[in-house]
Amino acid sequence: MINVLYLDDEAHNLTAFRAAFRRDFQVHVTTEPTEAVRILRDQPIEVIISDQKMPKLSGVEFFELIMPDYPDPVRMLLTGHADIDAVIDAINKGQIYKYISKPWNEVELKGLVQEAADLFHHRRTMASEGAQLMDRMSEARVHAARIHRMTEVNASLTEEQTGEIARMSSEIIRLLG
Amino acid sequence: MSSRIGKHRVRFLLWVFFMAGWFGADAQQFLGSRMEAMNAEAGQSLIGVERVAVSEDWALLEAAVPNLGLDDEVKWVRLTLDPRSESGQLIEIQNAGIDELTGFMVCDGKVVASYERGVIDQHNWDESLGTYPTFPIPLVECNELVALFRMKSAKPILLPVRIAGPREVLRDSHQRDVLFAAYFGVILVMLLYNLFLFFSVGDRSYLEYSLFILMIGGTQFVLNGYGSFFQVDAFPWLNLRITHFFGVFSGLTTIVFVQNFLRLSRYVPWLHKLLNFYFVVYLVAFVLAAAGQLIWSYNLINFCAVAIFFFIPGAIITMRKGYSPAKYFLLAFTVFILAVLVFVLKDAGIIPYNQWTFFALPLGSAIEMVLLSLALASRITQLKKESAVAREEQLRISQLNERMVREQNTVLEERVRDRTADLEEMNSTMRSTLEELQTAQQQLVQSEKLASIGQLTAGIAHELNNPINFVSSSAQSLRRDFQDMNSVVDSVKSLNPESEDLSASVVAIKQQLAQLDIEFTQKEIDELLKGIEDGTTRTSEIVKGLRIFSRMDGDNFIQAQLNELIESTLIILRSNLKDSAVVQCDLAADLPPVTCQPGRLNQVFMNIVTNAAQAMEGLGRDAEENVVMVKTSRVESIGQSWAEVRIKDCGVGMSETVKSQIFDPFFTTKQVGEGTGLGLSIVTGILSDHNAEVEVESEEGVGTEFIIRFPL
Repeated sequence: MINVLYLDDEAHNLTAFRAAFRRDFQVHVTTEPTEAVRILRDQPIEVIISDQKMPKLSGVEFFELIMPDYPDPVRMLLTGHADIDAVIDAINKGQIYKYISKPWNEVELKGLVQEAADLFHHRRTMASEGAQLMDRMSEARVHAARIHRMTEVNASLTEEQTGEIARMSSEIIRLLG
Repeated sequence: MSSRIGKHRVRFLLWVFFMAGWFGADAQQFLGSRMEAMNAEAGQSLIGVERVAVSEDWALLEAAVPNLGLDDEVKWVRLTLDPRSESGQLIEIQNAGIDELTGFMVCDGKVVASYERGVIDQHNWDESLGTYPTFPIPLVECNELVALFRMKSAKPILLPVRIAGPREVLRDSHQRDVLFAAYFGVILVMLLYNLFLFFSVGDRSYLEYSLFILMIGGTQFVLNGYGSFFQVDAFPWLNLRITHFFGVFSGLTTIVFVQNFLRLSRYVPWLHKLLNFYFVVYLVAFVLAAAGQLIWSYNLINFCAVAIFFFIPGAIITMRKGYSPAKYFLLAFTVFILAVLVFVLKDAGIIPYNQWTFFALPLGSAIEMVLLSLALASRITQLKKESAVAREEQLRISQLNERMVREQNTVLEERVRDRTADLEEMNSTMRSTLEELQTAQQQLVQSEKLASIGQLTAGIAHELNNPINFVSSSAQSLRRDFQDMNSVVDSVKSLNPESEDLSASVVAIKQQLAQLDIEFTQKEIDELLKGIEDGTTRTSEIVKGLRIFSRMDGDNFIQAQLNELIESTLIILRSNLKDSAVVQCDLAADLPPVTCQPGRLNQVFMNIVTNAAQAMEGLGRDAEENVVMVKTSRVESIGQSWAEVRIKDCGVGMSETVKSQIFDPFFTTKQVGEGTGLGLSIVTGILSDHNAEVEVESEEGVGTEFIIRFPL
């Protein structure tokens, strides 16, 4: 189940959101930004949705606040009406994934949350694959270095040595995919 | 006409001249050559007339009319007589101006008669015949008969002496009287004539001329022994000096008359100054005479008399400069100077002393006066001509002026027309500019209105979107919840009480309930319903507020509740204010309705409350700390009831300078592009339409309070 955090100062919105999506996602809701930070810390949140217009701080400000500590969850901004300044801020400062206007379309919102979650996981996979690739690259570089050393030391290679070089070469090819 | 009269006058004058000449034609025999004089020093040392008579110091005088000169010494003159032929006749000295004159008749060394005939003794010569001193030669038997004269005078002693019978003396005297009477007649006529002219014409030169005539005539009067006529001898002091005085005054009046007549200050300034000098010298002579220095005074008067010769060149220069009366003046003075010359030459013995030469001076002066009279008339004519010319010139100038004024008027009118046209053009330009400005202003007001409508729309959209969002979302969630519930209900409905596996079914249903987390669902349904109710209420509230706020009958004055208007405004503003400020209301329940334009008043409240919220932004405080206080109450002030609205913030406040300008159009403290600067100026316009009073209290760093009072 996808872990979704929804921050809005309007409690009725929270109720409606949870009621709408509790069957599909693991929904976490709060009216308080501090509570939201606590949830982020305790739960493996994948998608964050925040209302823009709130008394203490705006949605963009909230995203700015949490970005350094929690860069991975995908951020979406929910707002009552299109305020171009808020949109610009959201993109430049909050680095949000999507901008949703109220009233939300349930199906659409559900799809967006799933897309966001996919993005989250894709990013995560990409990150781990990248790490693996880097490992393999460095291993291949070690083999290559050894081959290089061996050819440099001895002009004439023993049969045993030639066999080792061939083995290492095939290993390098394997590592590089 | 005038020239013909002038010719007649000249002819008349020539005739008078001729007649005078005829009168004087009877030549007389003067005895200068028979007389002896003794020098003064010799005379002084002799005591007694007899001793003088027989003195050996006598010197024969040569001229027919001897002149003994001018000094203050005693002079003796001896005339030896023929006792046979001359006894019983009279010795006549034709000089009435000798101050002291005593005649002695000495017969054979003995004085037989003496006579006092000096000026100072005039009262003694009543027995004298005529106006000149006469000395009867006694009828005595003598071998030697001598007449001795003792003289002293402050005037030159001129001695025209003759011996004649009483009848002859009387006849000549009468003749002279007649001549002088004629002369004085002329003088008098001239005097009166010119005085009359002076009084009728008012020209000062007539008076000057009258005085001049008076003085010249007076001089002749006293010179010729007629002083006694005025009984001058009653005043010895004056009697001694009267000749000098007349000399001085005739000089002074002549100078004044000539200066003004010839207009010397204008035509011959140097002569004018010179005559002023002579004037002063005459005054000195006067003072000397008054002080008793008679000889010096007489010398000075003589010296000044030279001035007369300057008149001729003065008159010529004046004439040359086109002043025609100078002609007559020149003629008059030429005649007079000739007469004076004759007089002087006669005194000097160069030409014979006779009636003719003697009478030259009075005759000359008479002619002079007549001619001067003519000159004066000519001068008046000239002046008239000049004034006529001047008048003509003036007329011409005034006509010229008039023409110029007319021309200038035309030019001015043209200019005025041009200027008016310019002004009209400018006016129309200004009018169109004004229209443009008004249009621009209307557009600005409109745009301000639109801006507030935009603000409003955004606020309302947000405010409506929230409830709509959760109501619609809740409705969908409810449907699902109820589907869950319905599935349980269906299961329950499908329960057959008769069925033996009822308990198993119940367990199944319980399981279904647990699976569906039905308790949570129930709670959720409650919450969702509450949300829907709440959303509906809020929506209807907003719609109601909107209706009140945007009442489009807002431009009509109607009775409305201020509180209601304020509340609706606050609802609309709620979402705008939510992230910046909170509004606290203290609205008086007993506030009566106010006659107002609700739509426009909402704009007022929205503007002021928005400003209040904006004044507290950026102070780094939480929205809860940014409180806008809105208070309504009924107040009594200036004997009237008011509905008072106070809107107070705790923002940055304003300085006095800012405060004084906030109602000015386009004044704004906001960044360019953030505000039009028209909000509060529109607010004042609206409030003044409501006869409302606005008061602003503000302190920097503390906050601002708007107090608005509507008359009830």
